[in-house]
Amino acid sequence: MITNAKMTMRDREFALIAGLLAISAVLMYVFPSFAVENSAGQIDWVTLPLVAFPIIAGSVLMAFASMQPYRLKERIGQPIKLISLAFGLMMLGISSGLLFGWLESINWDLSQYNRYELEFEYAWMQSIGVSWHVGLDGLSFSMVWLTTVLIPIVMITTWEEKMGWYHHPLILMMGGALIGVFVALDFFMFYVFWELTLVPMFFLILKWGGDDRRYAAQKFFIYTFSGSLVMLLGIITLYFLQPSSQALIDQGVLTGRTFDMTQMAIGAQAAANADIAWLGINMQKALFLTFLLGFLVKLPAVPFHTWLPDAHVQAPTAGSMLLAGVMLKMGGYGLFRVCATLFPEALLEYQWLLLTIGMVSLVYGSFVCLGQTNLKRLVAFSSVSHMGIILLGIATMEPLGFAGAIFMMFAHGIISPLLFAVAGAFKHHYHTLEIGSMRGMAKHSPWLATFMMFGWMASLGLPLLAGFVAEITVLIAFWKAFGWWVILPGITLMVTAAYYIWSMQKTIFEGGDAGEMPESLGGKPAPDISMWEVSGMMLLAMLTVLFGVLPWIFFDMMTGYAFGLFDGILLNVIGGGA
Amino acid sequence: MSGAMDYALWIPVLPIVAFPIILFLGNVFKGTDLWRGKWKEGGIIATVVIGTCLGLSIWLIVGYIGQVTGNESVGQIGDWLSFHMVENGNLVSYSIGFGMYLDHVSVMLLFVASFLCFLIAIFSLGYMNSDPVNLDRNHRFYAEFLLFCAGMLGMVLADNFLWLFIFWEIMGLCSYLLIGFYYERPSAAYAAKKAFLTTRVGDVFLLIGLLILWNLFGSLDFSVVWAEDNIAAVDAGTLKIALFMMFVGAVGKSAQFPLHVWLPDAMEGPTPVSALIHAATMVNAGLYLVARMFPFFASPAMEGEFTDLAILIAWIGGITAFMAALIAFVQRDIKKVLAYSTMSQLAYIFTGLGAALWFANTGHEEIALLAFGASMFHLFNHAMAKGMLFMASGSVIHEMHHAHHEVSHHGSSESAERDAGVGAAGVDHAAHGGHEDHDHFDAQDMSNMGGLASKMPITATAMAVGSASIIGIPLIGGFWSKEGIVGAAWQASLTPGGAWMLVPAVLVLITAGMTGFYMSRMWFMTFAGKPKTPVANGVVEQTPFIPIPLVTLTVMTLGGVVFAGFEFIHWVADGDAEMHFTNVLSGIGVELKHAFLPSGEENGALIYLVTMLTIVISTIVGPAIAMALYGGRLAKGEKAKPWLAWLVSLSSRVRRKNHFDNSTWAESGLADSLHQRLYFDAWYDAAMLKIVVPFANACAWFDQHIIDGAIKGLEYGSQEGSSVIRRLTTGSGRDYIMMVALGTLAIFVLIWGVA
Repeated sequence: MITNAKMTMRDREFALIAGLLAISAVLMYVFPSFAVENSAGQIDWVTLPLVAFPIIAGSVLMAFASMQPYRLKERIGQPIKLISLAFGLMMLGISSGLLFGWLESINWDLSQYNRYELEFEYAWMQSIGVSWHVGLDGLSFSMVWLTTVLIPIVMITTWEEKMGWYHHPLILMMGGALIGVFVALDFFMFYVFWELTLVPMFFLILKWGGDDRRYAAQKFFIYTFSGSLVMLLGIITLYFLQPSSQALIDQGVLTGRTFDMTQMAIGAQAAANADIAWLGINMQKALFLTFLLGFLVKLPAVPFHTWLPDAHVQAPTAGSMLLAGVMLKMGGYGLFRVCATLFPEALLEYQWLLLTIGMVSLVYGSFVCLGQTNLKRLVAFSSVSHMGIILLGIATMEPLGFAGAIFMMFAHGIISPLLFAVAGAFKHHYHTLEIGSMRGMAKHSPWLATFMMFGWMASLGLPLLAGFVAEITVLIAFWKAFGWWVILPGITLMVTAAYYIWSMQKTIFEGGDAGEMPESLGGKPAPDISMWEVSGMMLLAMLTVLFGVLPWIFFDMMTGYAFGLFDGILLNVIGGGA
Repeated sequence: MSGAMDYALWIPVLPIVAFPIILFLGNVFKGTDLWRGKWKEGGIIATVVIGTCLGLSIWLIVGYIGQVTGNESVGQIGDWLSFHMVENGNLVSYSIGFGMYLDHVSVMLLFVASFLCFLIAIFSLGYMNSDPVNLDRNHRFYAEFLLFCAGMLGMVLADNFLWLFIFWEIMGLCSYLLIGFYYERPSAAYAAKKAFLTTRVGDVFLLIGLLILWNLFGSLDFSVVWAEDNIAAVDAGTLKIALFMMFVGAVGKSAQFPLHVWLPDAMEGPTPVSALIHAATMVNAGLYLVARMFPFFASPAMEGEFTDLAILIAWIGGITAFMAALIAFVQRDIKKVLAYSTMSQLAYIFTGLGAALWFANTGHEEIALLAFGASMFHLFNHAMAKGMLFMASGSVIHEMHHAHHEVSHHGSSESAERDAGVGAAGVDHAAHGGHEDHDHFDAQDMSNMGGLASKMPITATAMAVGSASIIGIPLIGGFWSKEGIVGAAWQASLTPGGAWMLVPAVLVLITAGMTGFYMSRMWFMTFAGKPKTPVANGVVEQTPFIPIPLVTLTVMTLGGVVFAGFEFIHWVADGDAEMHFTNVLSGIGVELKHAFLPSGEENGALIYLVTMLTIVISTIVGPAIAMALYGGRLAKGEKAKPWLAWLVSLSSRVRRKNHFDNSTWAESGLADSLHQRLYFDAWYDAAMLKIVVPFANACAWFDQHIIDGAIKGLEYGSQEGSSVIRRLTTGSGRDYIMMVALGTLAIFVLIWGVA
């Protein structure tokens, strides 16, 4: 009888997911006929399906679930998870359709400064010059695709997380908010989504986190929020620094000013062409620093990084995966989208600052890693270390360095979720995160050991896996820009190998014929990692290999973006400065 | 030719594709009879794949040799990465592609790699699958084995330094995984870690070297960086630094001083791994890399610029050769002897390459090519011989283990049998004493062997021929090349300006004699004399598949004379010229002249003396001392094959006449420090534990207490501060009115002050 009930349940689920997929397919087919087209004849695939739908669907699902009595929640949990997954897959379908040209034929490799594909602008709060302005280029599209591919994978990996009826919609919401950050071309909108991402993550940590989750969630929220507030100061200053334009006043903008990044970029480019610093060099430097602080906290870079290990250690698997995979990239993304695009002179002035912070993060971060005994802290600090490479890539002021840094964001966005999936499964499996508390993982959980080995190797920069491409490209540019300073990243490569290999020696290997189990299990056998976890990790591993062997799928796009940026504005500045 | 070219890409791709397939099938079908029996746990797939690779390679090679236009890039696939750089205020576009490059060196190494991979795959079918300890995990071995093959074949075929590096790292990964194959043993885990980290140090240097090289040439393609005009256009000093950095990478990979510590420990891996990766192929990668630097040294524009680097290479070679041979004297583990021998022989090749590079850089083109060819030929001979020696040692260990199992558990109760079946039959297990039920019998210890010549005729023959090739017994394999290397080193040291080459020249000469000693010592300890343990008495040569590669390689090694006759040395060195070859006999004549009198125009007499001395000490003095110490007649009733019997009886005769006691030497401080591997491992461990680890812990402490402490302080301060301020909120109306009054007053004070 029970099996029977289960069978019907499963049948219903299959029917449900098939129906949802069918509906989303029909929607995607019908969508163009009522969707907005821009002057280039492109349909707005971004606003509704990628940003609005996931956020709305996520909140509606949660609201719906919270209205049900607990007993019913158990029963609707599975359908809610399935609906969330269906939305995630729809997002992935759209972004892949854009990538491979099924939906719009876009050549992502060609890019120009301040030129966007799928650019759409709708009036939002016209009286103060706020618009809903979205658009994609080589930089943001790679991040959007990364987000859309991670959302379903994270859902699959954490399929069996308790209270899935809140958990999965939160992830879905997170995806919408993250994509909102990446597609926003208006500072107001950018800031709204920037802070919106904190909300689902805060609840993910608070509800599903470890023992010390309250402290970690608060620290995460307050720390990054404080950093963002400084950035908000910069945004408001930037808004008021613009001259009031009569044309905008005529359009109904009371202040005659705008939050639109593209408008500002036009100003910045015109100033650079005329060989003058936009807004004056001192003001530009001040603004640069306010934004930089916001982005460095998010990245995070030493010394603003201490929220990260705490948040990661306490966060559940899904939280860690999204945090490391996409949220950190918001910082790197902002550096390109705002700092490099609008403040090129200041960027050149503060090249040394980026170099210093990047180098300290990289080298110091790796040594701190070597001193960790907690698996998640180790992986968290390795993120700090790897994010240093992004700063170094920007500091080179070479198109190759920029492209390499963006590829680092992308590659780390695939590899670090794998690392945290492994660490999370480790925690589930052994109820501890202490390295060395158990031995011979290859014996008692070969799947977990395999993925740990794979992820660790990918993270230490093994060739033909995605991370290597990022490292080698940044380092080529780095040698050209800074010469023998390359010794320090070189040492880091050795130290990185040391801490990863050491941690594997103490977990995967050793332990004799029977293996050793940690005391935390109290003599009970460890539960095996589930097929859900295995499939999630397998997908991430396959992506790591794919982009390690065929990096050009995204690297060409990033090269194109970097070319546009240099061609459009930075070359003028460098040439003027030299 | 074009037919083979179209398929050349499959040579590295096939094994890399088969790698996940075997892993997957192995995980799914693990434990089933069909998978264990017919499929050999994936061994059949691996052998077929490697066989296909070998076939494709031979097709490619035959096509290549058939046409005489020289170097050729095949299978250019296109851009892998394309990007821009700022040059003089403009954006210049660059790209890194992937393609394949064939010349005589890569063709030779391609053959060596695919041939040995194939033979060792066959060997593994016998060795790995007949051992219960490997049961249900052989698929991991075969999968990683294939990944390694892909790395090696890819590295040989790559047409630029970046792809060379990529495949180089893949080999490093496989080496790590396979050394740690018996992951449950702490010693294996430690050895794997050590191998990965030590080679990683070299790899980082290599990577930095490649960065410099890229920035010099704007490309890493062989065809670009070797172009004469391009070399002439770059700064010699920077190029030298780049080459030095790359050389450090080679030192790490080929286990040369001072990054040699990982190789002996790497013998923790299964014996086929030692044979393939740590003797025959991967460790040659460093040599291949240095050989690939030849065009930089030979460029007229750089003449005289890199002599010190060439001398450094030769010095590293000389020092390692001598040191490794010295340590090999005291080893009792049969695989360790071979490991040190590998180090020593690779060092020979480094010395030869150093001499070749020195000659090339000082404008002696002809002798440079000769030395280069001799080095490459030694690489070839050494790979064949050492691969065979390791497989033969594997055969010995395997049968010893089997015999030990028979002896110690024969007739005991069934339960004891079953207990032992799990752990005791582990081939390499015993060496590490990891099993309580195993009474610590070491199947790799040569002092447990003896008298195996009659019991294992094929293995004994293979071992004898292989040792002869390593020693350089005239007319057998390694002889042809070793003479060339020693001669070239001496020739260089006698050429004006080459005085610094004298040290490596002397060292390799001495080492030749030492090689004669320790290789013979190994053979006589194992195969001559009476069995030293009952186990050795019970040994039978019986495992299937193992004889196939042994016989094949024995023939190959003995056939070194034919290769020499084909003027291999000239062929491999003269990348562009057509073959010198006329016929085998005259070829042998030419080579004999070279071997005994390497280009003996200048200082002919001295060089003649040196080569003769080499032959004498390596062929006569070294083995004679070994016979005097370790020789002996077989037990009564045992008869070795005739081609071995004379050797055994000779050894017993030598021993009877010249027996001397070496116990004072064996107990001396020198022997002790040799047992400690001259303390390098201890120093490195101490450096790690006393400097790096405390520093890392200090960093972690600093992070947690100072940086995060500051944040926590801020947190605490704001909490405390707010609790103070909170007290102002008293809830009493009087206080608030007072507050309002004070505030208003303050505002007025401010306004007046400003006004």
